[in-house]
Amino acid sequence: MKIVGRHDEAPGVRTMKLEFQHPADHEIFKETYRTGMFGLYGVYGEGESTFCVASPETRKDYIECTFRQSGRVTSALANADIGDLITFRGPYGNRFPIEEFHGKNLLFVSGGIALPPTRSVIWSCLDQREKFGKVTIVYGARSVADLVYKHELEEWQERSDVDLVLTVDPGGESPDWKNRVGFVPTVLEEAAPSPDNCIAVICGPPIMIKFTLISLKKLGFDESNVYTTLENRMKCGLGKCGRCNVGSVYVCKEGPVFTAAEVSLMPASDL
Amino acid sequence: MTKILFSDKLDNCVERWKSAGLTVIGPVQRSNISTYAAIEHAAELDFSLVLPDRSIKDLFFPQSEPMLRYTIKKESIDTDECLPPSGPRIIFGARPCDASGMAIDDPLFGWDYKDEYWFQRRNETVIVTIACTKADDFCMCTSLKMAPDSTKGSDILLRPLAGNKGWQVEELTDRGREAFKTIADILQESSDPAAPLAVVEKKFDLDACVTWLQNPENFESRFWKEISMRCIGCASCTYLCPTCHCFDIQDEGDTYTGIRRKNWDSCSFALFTMHTSGHNPRSTQSARWRQRIMHKFNYFPGKFSVNSCSGCGRCSRQCPVDMGITETLQEISKLSL
Repeated sequence: MKIVGRHDEAPGVRTMKLEFQHPADHEIFKETYRTGMFGLYGVYGEGESTFCVASPETRKDYIECTFRQSGRVTSALANADIGDLITFRGPYGNRFPIEEFHGKNLLFVSGGIALPPTRSVIWSCLDQREKFGKVTIVYGARSVADLVYKHELEEWQERSDVDLVLTVDPGGESPDWKNRVGFVPTVLEEAAPSPDNCIAVICGPPIMIKFTLISLKKLGFDESNVYTTLENRMKCGLGKCGRCNVGSVYVCKEGPVFTAAEVSLMPASDL
Repeated sequence: MTKILFSDKLDNCVERWKSAGLTVIGPVQRSNISTYAAIEHAAELDFSLVLPDRSIKDLFFPQSEPMLRYTIKKESIDTDECLPPSGPRIIFGARPCDASGMAIDDPLFGWDYKDEYWFQRRNETVIVTIACTKADDFCMCTSLKMAPDSTKGSDILLRPLAGNKGWQVEELTDRGREAFKTIADILQESSDPAAPLAVVEKKFDLDACVTWLQNPENFESRFWKEISMRCIGCASCTYLCPTCHCFDIQDEGDTYTGIRRKNWDSCSFALFTMHTSGHNPRSTQSARWRQRIMHKFNYFPGKFSVNSCSGCGRCSRQCPVDMGITETLQEISKLSL
């Protein structure tokens, strides 16, 4: 795929906009891609890395992906310039069943670099805003600089039909920070969104997910109305290479999207 | 009267198969390791061992194999898919545990996406298995509800005659019958009795073990820590296992040309599941050993209705610290009493 756009979101975090080179590949993508699915992005000579498709299913002319530069592959991706070619395999995995969310209130809870998968669902819903009830987004990062999609956060903050709660971890605030300070689960409990007729989509580092699930339980959310996406290390994406499984579940095939009820059946210490 | 292949005629068979275009593969000694490799003459074959060190898995799923070659040009990237070298093969002298190991992995490589590398080789290979008349302390096929003369995964089963004179021939599949048509005139009818099969003592109660493993309460049992204390995470067990199938994908090359390879990997390695963030879902050796046992006897059968173990015992036989599936399941058998 060809890189047609790049944007630095936060220190070491970059979004790339990719366009298909072959119309046939693009057609397959258009037919199969639904929000929540992931892909394997690669640079020949360096390898492949797994991350979500960060663009929504309502915008399929291109793929956006957001990644933190940390290893061999992501460094090579970060070094790639506009016009360069990278590889993409996918879309793989299951999806957020957003048509089942029609008529319901939506709560998105996300932390740090985990906003990209959430953002795909957020825009998939906001692009057909009339089909959903109240939309609440709780998003936090370690510091103000670490918040990703800053331009979109501003857009959501200005929209009257989106309730955005932003927070940074204690110590991560800047002098002009006007939003919350505190960890995501705590801020979520303070915001206290109603569980009535509400679907929660949570995504973040394992430790955030763990405590957010506890907070949601306190707020009265039913486990079957809470969705999350598990991002395990993957190589093949096809249910063969054997590393992404949690218990008997292959995250690449049966996931990455699971309800909290499904996650609760998995061996917690292997998550 | 049964069809007999006499040992002294084996070289004629090898010749016949070779002229028919088959690559003949069998148990041989190579650099002090007993393994399966292509042969020219029957004299190279070594049937003296209970089981070669390496399994026939290597012939279907090599330790490392190229998947594609890439060349990066100014405006484009050229890629060539590397499919495995094609051509019919016959493995003469597989063991029942190894042959069934291949059949065990078929559903894994075939579910959803069909792995061409695996199935091309599977479809081009005739497996001629020799029933076991010898076993050692590590053999455990009977504990896995198999036997020294199991036919699963084999195209032909040979039952040794007494005194190494030859083998009774049981044709099991069309692929096997086809290959043995080439040597039909070499086979003789005889009433020579087969030598007694190896006696493989039952080492654990598989059903009891599976019940214990399926109980979610036992996932956090301190048993896992105790049993895996010795494990050094060397992955010998997974590499030698005929059914372990985990792999890694790595690129190898310079800036402009190179190869993307599929390499064996192992759930014993810490890096196997390590996230970029440093978070590791299976962060301890005990979690990794638990994964291996659970995968073989709980998760895999849950998905594919067959245990991911054929009872060859290589994991215990070759383990540098004397632990393996046998020892683990024996302990679980005791726990579940």
